Amino acid sequence: MYHLALKMLLGDRAKYLMLVGGLTFATMLMTQQCGVFFGLLKWTTSHLSNMRAKLWVVDRKVEQANELKALRDTDVNRVRTVPGVAWAVPVYVTVQSAKLADGNFKPVMLVGLDNATLIGQPPVLLRGKLESVRLPNSVIVDELAVRRLSSGRAKPLDLGDTFELNDKEARIVGICRADKHFFGYPYVYSTYTQALQFAPKQRKMLSLILAEPAPGWSLDDAAAAIEAATGMKAYTEEKFFWATIWWYFKNTGIPIAFISTIALGFIVGMVISGQTFYAFVHENLRHLGALKAMGASNGLLVRMLLLQAFIVGFIGYGLGALLVVGFGRTAVARGEPPFMFPWQLPVATFCLVMSICALSAVLGIRKVVKIEPAIVFRG
Amino acid sequence: MSATPTNSPALAVHVRGVSKTFGTGETAVTALNGVDFTARQGELLMIVGPSGCGKTTLLSVIAGTLNFDCGELDVFGSPLHRLKPREITEFRKRHVGFIFQAFNLIPTLTCIENICVPLLIGGVSRRVAERKALALLDEVGLGARGHERPTNLSGGQQQRIAIARALVHEPRLIICDEPTSALDKDTGAHIMDLLRTAARNPNRCVIVVTHDSRVFKYADRLTEMEDGRVQRVHDQGGNYDLSE
Repeated sequence: MYHLALKMLLGDRAKYLMLVGGLTFATMLMTQQCGVFFGLLKWTTSHLSNMRAKLWVVDRKVEQANELKALRDTDVNRVRTVPGVAWAVPVYVTVQSAKLADGNFKPVMLVGLDNATLIGQPPVLLRGKLESVRLPNSVIVDELAVRRLSSGRAKPLDLGDTFELNDKEARIVGICRADKHFFGYPYVYSTYTQALQFAPKQRKMLSLILAEPAPGWSLDDAAAAIEAATGMKAYTEEKFFWATIWWYFKNTGIPIAFISTIALGFIVGMVISGQTFYAFVHENLRHLGALKAMGASNGLLVRMLLLQAFIVGFIGYGLGALLVVGFGRTAVARGEPPFMFPWQLPVATFCLVMSICALSAVLGIRKVVKIEPAIVFRG
Repeated sequence: MSATPTNSPALAVHVRGVSKTFGTGETAVTALNGVDFTARQGELLMIVGPSGCGKTTLLSVIAGTLNFDCGELDVFGSPLHRLKPREITEFRKRHVGFIFQAFNLIPTLTCIENICVPLLIGGVSRRVAERKALALLDEVGLGARGHERPTNLSGGQQQRIAIARALVHEPRLIICDEPTSALDKDTGAHIMDLLRTAARNPNRCVIVVTHDSRVFKYADRLTEMEDGRVQRVHDQGGNYDLSE
């Protein structure tokens, strides 16, 4: 009987397409919005993925990676003297202004790396040599910076080209790939000393300290030792990551906006598929009644309806997921909009779509279970 | 209680004092009022009467598709009044074939698939069901139309498909609700020929509810109903005088 149940479903082309379309839309909306949301959250932690260190030492009041409060230069040495710390290096991170050839200005994220070790270096260096960044006025820029800062030029910026960074000439000695910042700023790397020259002078210039625990020390123990000895806040990389994510959850409307859209996807999917499936059952009620009269049990009819509901669910989900994968590939290739597709996302969406199908089927099942087979004798 | 019929005498259906009331209180309508009724094996019996006399309700009760308030009902020896709902469903699946006024063929399935339905409900494999369905299609003269959808067929052809569906699982009781009302005279006659042939099986009984006086002549016996009761049973074949 199950193949006949499928033929009944596929035979009603309009409703079948409506059901599949509704579930495809719901899948796409929920998955795509979740993907963009996760991508956006990941952008909030771009400092962590672009500098990569086991311990992050910041001012005690700092709650997340994008709100750094300057430290004193001597704080690096204080951290270095803490037992349990293998090494510690200073990093300068601030937003600076780059001048374009056409006279416009663009903000960039200037990162000053420790002169000696260059710890916190770009994740992927595409062109040039890392060591060249120690040359006077040298910077390594990411691909986004090349695109953004090339505006008004005859050809894109390349190795050896210069641009103005806070009225000072910066020469490009390397091009790297880096995760994009939450605010969309390109990353520009230099040495710590040169970064201080590019940036306007302030009383305290040290943004944060990257450190690593000494052999035999766990991350948590080393972080606790730093906090106890210096009064600064020491995060492990994982804790800093989640502290940043949760900060945006608690302090911005972004999650609410995305969750609303995701909920909307669920509701729209539910309404379209629920209503369409109910209409499908309602229109076939007489035939289902005839099947009941001919001896089909409630159990058999329920299984037929569930099969119909879940088949459209599988197809709708598959199409929706394919569209999202296409969107995701484009987004990742272009670098925007933000997109992240952890394996849990398609699994969760699949469960949501199947729950939509189950709820839709329940509406029809209630009706079918209640009908009396004698309905077929009524005019 | 088993849903399998026992070896019984010539009686196929035996209804004793069956009553059925729809609704309660002032709006209650008594559709059957202590009906006594019999149908024999190997006969084509018609139930006739004015609209609202209870003939379709009686047919629904006999088919096991409608519960009744009181009385007893034996169908091929099975006491339906004592069976549980699941056993009645099982009984219908095995022993009852249905023919409806509006055919009730599923429009999205082909004719063969429609005919297969009772067999598939009974758990018969798809291959065996389709083979039997094809054989039945030939018997009703529509062997070449098996892969078409019912909506492409005329009313008479659709009713022939419905008859094939009613016979395919070889039921002992065939229930027909106004099988010729929607058909012209010649087509109706052809349908009645098929039903009469089906009723010639000595282990089978065909019960037809109809308003269509053109087909009364096909009945072996004719039961007249009025106000929820059986008024009269005409035993003679051929022309019935229902003018009184």
